[in-house]
Amino acid sequence: MNSPQSSHRWIRLIEPACTSCMICARECPSWCISIDSHTEPVAGLPTGARDRTRNALDRFAIDWSLCMYCGICVEECPYDALEWVGDLTKAGPSSESLVEEMAEKPSARTSS
Amino acid sequence: MRWIDWYGDGSLYVLDIALACCTLEFDAASPVSAAPVPTLDDRAHVAVVISGTVTDRLAPGVAAIIDGCEQVAGRRPTVISFGACASSGGPYWDSYAVTKGVDQLVAVDAYVPGCPPPPEALSAVLDQIAHRVKS
Amino acid sequence: MLPENWLAAVEALRADGFDYFDWLGCVDEIGRQDCFRVILVARNLAKSAEPRMLSCLLPRDDPRIDSVRGVFAGAAWHEREVAELFGVEFVGGERRRLLLDPGFEGTPLRKDEVLAARTGLNWPGAKEPGETDASPSRRRMLPPGVPDPAVWGDRDASQPASDPAEVAESAVGGRVLRRRT
Repeated sequence: MNSPQSSHRWIRLIEPACTSCMICARECPSWCISIDSHTEPVAGLPTGARDRTRNALDRFAIDWSLCMYCGICVEECPYDALEWVGDLTKAGPSSESLVEEMAEKPSARTSS
Repeated sequence: MRWIDWYGDGSLYVLDIALACCTLEFDAASPVSAAPVPTLDDRAHVAVVISGTVTDRLAPGVAAIIDGCEQVAGRRPTVISFGACASSGGPYWDSYAVTKGVDQLVAVDAYVPGCPPPPEALSAVLDQIAHRVKS
Repeated sequence: MLPENWLAAVEALRADGFDYFDWLGCVDEIGRQDCFRVILVARNLAKSAEPRMLSCLLPRDDPRIDSVRGVFAGAAWHEREVAELFGVEFVGGERRRLLLDPGFEGTPLRKDEVLAARTGLNWPGAKEPGETDASPSRRRMLPPGVPDPAVWGDRDASQPASDPAEVAESAVGGRVLRRRT
């Protein structure tokens, strides 16, 4: 009954690497990745520099009831912000419980 | 109906509705000592596992089997939707011929994600149902 | 080849030693030509299962072809599948559905048939980087499988109807496509 050791059982977000580029959500064949983000001005620029903005991730969720574990999102991410891990994705009592929120809430983040 | 006596001691009986690839993981998860039995013990836990894609054509049959389980067992079995197809339609969510999750037909007690889930995922859920989780 | 030669060609193929029926299928050639291409492959077991393929073009607006189940009994199931999924009529063939419900409407494998589930749901990828639900805006990206609204769906009824080739092309998706005028 013990299956061989596998590292392809769950997908984890490496949040600092994510730029909210939307590529994983667009490439996912099951449409199971949901991303919310907003733009923020970049602080601490030298005087005279033009204004710049960056994307800030608000929400990154994967609906595991839909995911088919194809790994396209992991491969397509240009910033390597998604990785395979070997832990089991957890079962749940409802299909809503299988939606995993992976981004830290804004209040939990320290301001950069 | 052929129920599998999961632990070999009459405490948990499991029926697999074997629809697609996930049923191979069900087979891998079945303990070697498990044997199919034709009748149920009144006191045992009873579980039905839907392994695989529920096509629209088969949907009435699947609902009828789960209904039949309840009749035979005399109580509502624990319904486990095993794998992405059974949980939501999975990779076939957009198909013209697929029911988007067995919960469109019956109430589901446990959703196991995976495509397919590894056998350990099913064993873990069944261990919980039979209260055999190590604390 | 033309439909009227189909049955004779299949009979000749069998007589030529290719008497093992492998499969019969169909390709929707919309976008290239307004046709369905019916394909049959048979093998010659006496010659290391060498395959031979026959194909026949049918007009898309009246796709009829002779059934070959009299030559290869096994072709009956393949013809039933092609009939229900593409809407091809096999003259002299079995009429029963194979896979779909008797009440099923539509011919799903035609390329101008749109998957309703994809058009009905909000695509998570439609948002732009830096956007949330709260700020819907300009032209959005469409997912694969959903045609441009100007071509199919919520379109302006006063515009002339789209032809199937436009719907099929538009459903390829990935970019918002403007309708060809």
